[in-house]
Amino acid sequence: MIRLSIPKTVMVEAKPNLRNAPQDSTMIRSVLRLLRSWAWLGPVGATLALVVAVALPWAPAAPLDVDRVVLEEQSQRIETIKKVHPAIVAVCMQGGQGVGSGVLIDPEGYALTNFHVVQPTGPLMQAGLADGVLYDAVVCGIDKVGDVALIKLLPKEKGKPFPYVKLGDSDKVRAGDWSLAMGNPFSLAMDFTPTVTFGIVSGVNRYQPPEGKGLLEYTDCIQIETSINPGNSGGPLFNMDGALIGINGRGSFEKRGRVNSGVGYAISINQIKNFLGHLYGGIDSDHATLGAAIGTANEDAPLAQMIVKQILDESDAYRRGLREGDQLLEFAGRRVNSTNEYKNILGIYPKEWRLPLTIRRGTTTREILVRLMGNQAQVIEKKDQPPEQPQPRPQPVPLPKGPRPSGEAAKMYEARKGFSNWYFNVVEQKKLLEKFKNHGDFSELCGTWTIEGQYEQPDRRGPMKIVLSEGAEGTKITMKLNIETSLEPLRQSDLRLQQEPIGSGGLMMAMYHYRRFLTLGAKGFEGLFAYGGYAPFYPFPIDGSEPKSLAALRVDCDLMITKHGSVECRWYFARTDGTLLGFETYVAKDADNLDDRDPCEVYFHDYKEVGGRKLPHTMNVRFGNKRYALLTVTSYNLEK
Amino acid sequence: MWTRTILMGILALGAILPTPVPLAAADPLVDVAKEANKKMVKLFGAGGFSRLNNYATGIIVSPQGHVITVASQILDTPDLVVHLYDGTRLPAQVLVTERELDIALLKIRSPGKKLEDPLDESLEYFDFLAAAKRPPAEVGDWVIALSNTFEIALRDEPLSVQRGVIAAYTKMAGRRGVFEFPYTGDVYIVDAITNNPGAAGGALLNRKGELLGIIGRELKNTLSETWMNYAIPVTGKAEVVQRVLLKDKDGNVIKDKDGKEVYEEKTVTVTMAEFVELGMQGKYKPIEGKNTIGGIGGYHGILFVPNILDRTPAYIEDVVPGSPADKAGLRSDDLVSFIDGEPVISINAFNDYIKKRTRAGTVVRLEVRRGEVLETIELTLEAHPAPPNSSGPPTPPKQ
Repeated sequence: MIRLSIPKTVMVEAKPNLRNAPQDSTMIRSVLRLLRSWAWLGPVGATLALVVAVALPWAPAAPLDVDRVVLEEQSQRIETIKKVHPAIVAVCMQGGQGVGSGVLIDPEGYALTNFHVVQPTGPLMQAGLADGVLYDAVVCGIDKVGDVALIKLLPKEKGKPFPYVKLGDSDKVRAGDWSLAMGNPFSLAMDFTPTVTFGIVSGVNRYQPPEGKGLLEYTDCIQIETSINPGNSGGPLFNMDGALIGINGRGSFEKRGRVNSGVGYAISINQIKNFLGHLYGGIDSDHATLGAAIGTANEDAPLAQMIVKQILDESDAYRRGLREGDQLLEFAGRRVNSTNEYKNILGIYPKEWRLPLTIRRGTTTREILVRLMGNQAQVIEKKDQPPEQPQPRPQPVPLPKGPRPSGEAAKMYEARKGFSNWYFNVVEQKKLLEKFKNHGDFSELCGTWTIEGQYEQPDRRGPMKIVLSEGAEGTKITMKLNIETSLEPLRQSDLRLQQEPIGSGGLMMAMYHYRRFLTLGAKGFEGLFAYGGYAPFYPFPIDGSEPKSLAALRVDCDLMITKHGSVECRWYFARTDGTLLGFETYVAKDADNLDDRDPCEVYFHDYKEVGGRKLPHTMNVRFGNKRYALLTVTSYNLEK
Repeated sequence: MWTRTILMGILALGAILPTPVPLAAADPLVDVAKEANKKMVKLFGAGGFSRLNNYATGIIVSPQGHVITVASQILDTPDLVVHLYDGTRLPAQVLVTERELDIALLKIRSPGKKLEDPLDESLEYFDFLAAAKRPPAEVGDWVIALSNTFEIALRDEPLSVQRGVIAAYTKMAGRRGVFEFPYTGDVYIVDAITNNPGAAGGALLNRKGELLGIIGRELKNTLSETWMNYAIPVTGKAEVVQRVLLKDKDGNVIKDKDGKEVYEEKTVTVTMAEFVELGMQGKYKPIEGKNTIGGIGGYHGILFVPNILDRTPAYIEDVVPGSPADKAGLRSDDLVSFIDGEPVISINAFNDYIKKRTRAGTVVRLEVRRGEVLETIELTLEAHPAPPNSSGPPTPPKQ
């Protein structure tokens, strides 16, 4: 398996092919040239040409009788190609040397390509479009494991929209479907006119193992016989409606050399959709592990059964109840029948996403919601490295030598640890917070907050009162459910206190952060205030019942991650309208006691207007595997 | 300007034509591939090193689990395994192979049952004999190729689908390594890159999903030094010139005046259909290779390691109990290094020597490396024992 970026040697190899062009085409070309030269002679010349053409023995006598369906299919194909043609990108080094391909996915100039294409260019590159114009471009987000990168082209005139293609649904692609691959193989087109190849999908849900160091793993990818060659890397794969179904990236080669062998692979667009938020947010994203080794129960058995062979006790899956020997039936709504299938499912999700897992132990089957861990293997590997020998990492790449990009592109690049381009994270934060503004402006409400209502727990219920008051030492939280507890978050650093009320995982701390988030925004989080990409969110039923299907609960959200002191919060905003649906508060994400690692989860429901601001009037509070309390708010008193 | 007028005219003409209607029927390729995939297996056997793949593809030709594939080195193991389309993993055994057609017939076995027992479930299959009765596809016809190219699929993952057209229907002129390729009959040459690692034994289908041929090996065209993409048609046949004993009408061997047996050259034709039909009945007799003409040599009873390389070292895996090798004290892990003073570079070289230079009663002297020492062992060859009465493969040696 080899990537399809352009090595210099291959570009050289490409030339003899041109020289070996069949003689027929030279003949046709010379006849055309002849015809063209006659055109200006006027009708007489043209008529003459026609006469000559008819007289020539090899001229076709009569048009071929072609089935109408074939002609229609052909004209549809041509229409499709015309439609997507302007959005195809030739990714180039500074100065215009081709390194791969890409495709524009929105009018602002964001384009998808492969990570291995932008690896040699560094954060600033150039990109040619089919209009023959070379644009400056800057890298946005990257996904090294998935071999995807998002770049942004800068328009020549400010605000001028770019042509772009629509994203398709790669889950609907089937083996045998027709497909179109486009791009700039061998950097053939000096004017960036894309090359089109046409073929069928040979397989879907294919797994291709990583290429070295756990990077460039192709999971759940689309296998095509549609010809892709060096330089096609990062280019689009379309269905016949012109919807983007994948990003072409690698092929299987053996003795036939590094050119199309009839077996190419495209990263499925549905995998990329999961990471799209991360990519837009300039995040150096990571894939995930379950924290468990899954294997076939018995390799020789007629039918494969996937079971948990080993599990890390620090994994979320362990705390959610997954144990060694459990059989894995479904993962993220898909059946798991083989190691490849398991890797396919796992491989398409970013780390820290929560996904449902259906397991069987003995005769009972149940569904659990599991947070995926970051790529633990890499973390361990790093720890084992002696510090004086830093592991060679492909990112960040220093700026290559060559003509400096225009000031505009360079201004759009900002390095920060954990991000491929922090500049774009700030852009996405602003977009999200702009949407969130419809909740109202809380920035002046820095006085005491009093929230009153009822609480409901499995065994008791009663009045509830939460007071967040400002003192000389910062905010103090007092919370009265059945008993009264209080916390001064800046002074009391003892974990047990911070996690009170007992069994909530730190509800007082959570409320403190909620107020900070609303009133201070970015200024309130000195540790981190970052856009975290897309993430699924699962608001549990407020009646406290067990959900019948976790998948049915799922709401797709935009994520914000904040850090203040030692506490990390993750805020979930509905992608549709920016409503804050809830948040998780990790009081001690790396606690020695593994049970303390779970966050306090607060789910917001029943938003109502209070003094021109929208506030939730029902809060479902969960910790670990169960509900802590359901809070119903009857009054908010938020002082200035 | 004039050209523009013509162009406008053409456009106007186009406008009169009925506007294209969206194609109603989904492309049948998807369904054809899906259906055909159920009639195929992923095949796993010997190999897995030195660019020799231990995987291939097979075509199911009977509901009882008969499978055809290319007669490649991966079959040289008693532990063949197939994965059915639904992910079921089952053992399989070679029933018979025909070098001249480069084909092998296998049978899938239900675990814990005998080879001849019926399978637990009957399988979907290609009716090979019906396929062989259809006229061959023509040059320019659409074809679909289905195979486990590059071992991309395991268990229930579907095979890879490719499409192309028949570029030529011609005589085979390939070679493999430096050896002549045995099959020289008709082949389909396709324009798709079908013959990749693991694709051997895959199916070449027409657009209706009917079996046209069996995808061959990875071969280089001797003339152009390009890789060939070929399939042996279901109608394929091989014409083999054989030296056979001359017999009279009553079947008695005719002898010349010196009392020697008389041979005649005879052209024998074998067809794929005959191979599959008789093979499934247990009646197919493979044509003996040209190398074996003039005798098969004496019997020694040595069982070597799987002979998967052109130069597999002559390591003994086992000896047949009671055979000359057993009596002479040869044992497993011995490396046969010399025979009658000539170096033995491979199993092939050993077999060649035995065939050409020995017969029953010949005494051969072997130098055998056992551990770090070279031992000399003399072996008196015997006549070959009568083949077992079944058509089944030689039973693997019991460890």
